[in-house]
Amino acid sequence: MTAKTENGNDSTITTTLTRRGFVKIGGALFVSIYIPAGIPAKAAESQASPLANQLDPARLASWLEIRSDNTILVRTGQAETGTGMSAFYAQMIAEELNVRPETITLILGDTDKTPDGGFSAGFQYAVLKFRKVAAYTYQALLGLAATRLGVPIASLTVTDGVVSGGGKTISYAQLVEGQQLDLKISVTGEALRIDPSVGWGVAGLFGLSVTGEPPMKPVSQYKVIGTSYPVPGIPDKVTGRTQWSSDVTLPGMLHARMVRPATLGSTLISVGALDKKQFPTAEVVSKSNLVAVVSPHEWEAISAARAVAATTKWTDWAGLPGSENLTKTFRAYQWGSPTESRGKAAEVTAALASAPRTISATYELPYVRHAPIGLFLAVADVRSDGTVTVWTHSSQSQGLRARIAYMLSLPIEKVIVRWLEHSGQYGRTTYGGDGAEADAVILSQLTGKPVRVQWTLQEDLAWSTVSPAWVSDIKAAVNAKGHITALHSASYSPHQFDARLLGAILAGLPCTPSKPGGWVATEWPYDKIQNRLEDAYGMPNLGAESASGGLRGNIMRTPGQRQQNFTLEGLMNEGAALAGADPIQFRMDHTTDQRLVDILSATAKAAAWDSRPSPHPNARKTGSASATGRGMSIIVRQNAYWVGIAEVVVVPSTGALRVTKFTIGADCGKIINPRQLDLCMKSGVVMGLSEALKEEVTFDKSKVTSTNWSRYKILTMEETPEIKVVRISRDDQGFGGGSEAANAVGPPAVAAAFFDATGVHPRRLPLTPAHVTALLKG
Amino acid sequence: MPSELTLSVNGGKQVVSVAPETPLLFVLRNELKLTGPRLGCGMAQCGACSVLLDGEEIRACVTPVSYAVGKQVTTIEGLPATWAAAKGLHSADAAKTLHPVQQAWIDEQVPQCGYCQSGMMIAAVELLAKNPNPTVAQIKDAFTNKAPSPHLCRCGTYAAIIDAVQRAAKSMNGGKE
Repeated sequence: MTAKTENGNDSTITTTLTRRGFVKIGGALFVSIYIPAGIPAKAAESQASPLANQLDPARLASWLEIRSDNTILVRTGQAETGTGMSAFYAQMIAEELNVRPETITLILGDTDKTPDGGFSAGFQYAVLKFRKVAAYTYQALLGLAATRLGVPIASLTVTDGVVSGGGKTISYAQLVEGQQLDLKISVTGEALRIDPSVGWGVAGLFGLSVTGEPPMKPVSQYKVIGTSYPVPGIPDKVTGRTQWSSDVTLPGMLHARMVRPATLGSTLISVGALDKKQFPTAEVVSKSNLVAVVSPHEWEAISAARAVAATTKWTDWAGLPGSENLTKTFRAYQWGSPTESRGKAAEVTAALASAPRTISATYELPYVRHAPIGLFLAVADVRSDGTVTVWTHSSQSQGLRARIAYMLSLPIEKVIVRWLEHSGQYGRTTYGGDGAEADAVILSQLTGKPVRVQWTLQEDLAWSTVSPAWVSDIKAAVNAKGHITALHSASYSPHQFDARLLGAILAGLPCTPSKPGGWVATEWPYDKIQNRLEDAYGMPNLGAESASGGLRGNIMRTPGQRQQNFTLEGLMNEGAALAGADPIQFRMDHTTDQRLVDILSATAKAAAWDSRPSPHPNARKTGSASATGRGMSIIVRQNAYWVGIAEVVVVPSTGALRVTKFTIGADCGKIINPRQLDLCMKSGVVMGLSEALKEEVTFDKSKVTSTNWSRYKILTMEETPEIKVVRISRDDQGFGGGSEAANAVGPPAVAAAFFDATGVHPRRLPLTPAHVTALLKG
Repeated sequence: MPSELTLSVNGGKQVVSVAPETPLLFVLRNELKLTGPRLGCGMAQCGACSVLLDGEEIRACVTPVSYAVGKQVTTIEGLPATWAAAKGLHSADAAKTLHPVQQAWIDEQVPQCGYCQSGMMIAAVELLAKNPNPTVAQIKDAFTNKAPSPHLCRCGTYAAIIDAVQRAAKSMNGGKE
């Protein structure tokens, strides 16, 4: 039996359905990938190169299996990062197949069990792809049912996986009972592989795309999307049944603790002595600047590593400017030309020259970091036959696989990466780099045993990648009515795509390349400001020339947009104040986008917004009595519109700043899961307020100094304000990014509220008591 | 040097052979395979490793295992049995029961990554034992100001935790506010 669906171009076969054979027990419809001609399915000459990766259909597991036991198995290379992606997969697939989401089981992230790569940017790149897979599968199932029931497809209806037509019914399970059916779906795209020409060092991040346009269920008929389907993994997380990446144990496995260099640039002089009387089963293992202590017993590894670290000698190094000198350092740097520039240079220059008024401001953001509660860890088993298996929580197992193969100069086929849940990563593993995986692989290779590497808090807060500091200059032309007519921004930032594996760097093994450069990230919300010019300048990591690569910059939640939006929204708040306009009305005056206007109105109403210009008539910058203020900001990103409204209390004499209430509004198109969206909006606010009030990676001339939770402070429960959520769901705008950007509205809204309370514009974060006190003394 | 120690964990006796200064957390996880409590900071600054010791929340990452000898250790795996015993449930019912705090964590969909939530639930159980009907301010105080450190959540689930603690309180009080 062969059925083909041709779509559009006659030469493109989008799906084929064939019967592989009959089986006595069970049966299933296997939905998998077909790779059309023209995509490099297997490049023989690059077979042995670690740079190569192939799309080999023979080796790829199915995407989806409709099974005769009434269950559906879904395999995806994506990971669950804590936002509820696993629920969204189940909802989207259930919707297109007309089944209950409870019947769907997901296999995530394992490179040997899942077919596609693609990074953790999640919904936009992953779930929507699967929507088409499910839609094609639905068409194939209808075709099978029509044949079995002897009625035309058009007369069939499906409820909970049971097809009805012509007075007869048959379930999906019965349709596949006793046979093995293959549905092949054409894809495009490229396999993930190392590519020195892209900034983050790997190509193929977007995974495979499904070709053609299968009929999909109209949004008006949705039954599962738009409901608050529970996230599947939660009951196990609550009862202790989840197997986390931290729980992997293998026979003969050694526990390792790393002995890191004394500074970010130190090289090894001599490894400290290991007292075998005190630590009889521990061993020191090292390769170049990678030093570790291993033991079958975790506590012995910890204790022995501390003892060895105390006597290990490293060279001195002092190649950092010190975090208090960041702005001075950036100002002194020769940035050259912008690495990315967008907009109309001539028009902006002319508008600024002829404007009756201009506003100029400089905004600064410190280094911050992802700082998960669960630290980096990994287990690796490198066998004498050259195979490597790594257990990870990386949100990009395919990218990690490519980087490990590159590090060991192995064909990528030799490396398997298995994914398990762990702490949120907030972007630091999105490009498949960083982490303890390289440490574990190298130590396993050196010891010939499986090795589990667990980083310490001090190590994670000093040696993991950081979200780089920014300085942005912004200048606006203002007309007689106070409206902004042209705008020029220039942002300056160190490298933000360095996903090299630390273990590889320290051990002197081949490192995947990465290329510094600025990036214009904003999605422009203010269409009435037609003349704009955005320049982004890049520089290498601070301390890049050192043995460790220095402060390795990496993306973090709402990357680039978060920083550039802080500048843009700061400017809009300053512009509103200069115009004597209410900050929300001022935004509305600069856009014709009705979605933005609607969410501004809805959020303002929910917050009982007091419409007036800032600062508040009672704004004060001295005294021990509290000053109160309210401020707002927006961000537009990935087909989603966000508004944040902060209410704050400032005590000028102490510098204490408290956020008392935060209202967040979002229009992200069709809402998939309202409760999960609420939860992600609220938690995003927490991360944004944490950045606004507390977070800063500090460092001296040689090392990071914010290396525990009392030095790298994040928001606590007591500091979390009442958070109110407003959401607009739209059936006619597709799906937007519904969780990530929530953190980006916090900092500019808090800064605006601070200005409202005090009359002082804060242009640098975090607003700690010391910083606030200094600002108010002015 | 390893010693033989007898521990009472989740209602059962366990004999382990470990160095007495080994932190309780590593004994629970590596020897007893109770992986509910998790290693966070390793220095009593985050609360991911919290367990109950005779009903008091302690940080298992810095508590020597010898200190737990003669006391009752409860991890999240043991919470259902604790609740079943408190309510006098028969074993058949007890096997199907979750502690109201765990049920509230599911009902409110608290966990995002979920890594810190084991310690959060332990803190909630301790709080509700002392204060069956805490206000929002009292919940915030308990999760922030109690020694040795605040319970930290990087995903930012604090609002959901507050909702879940109040839901659990209501459930444990038989539906009364």
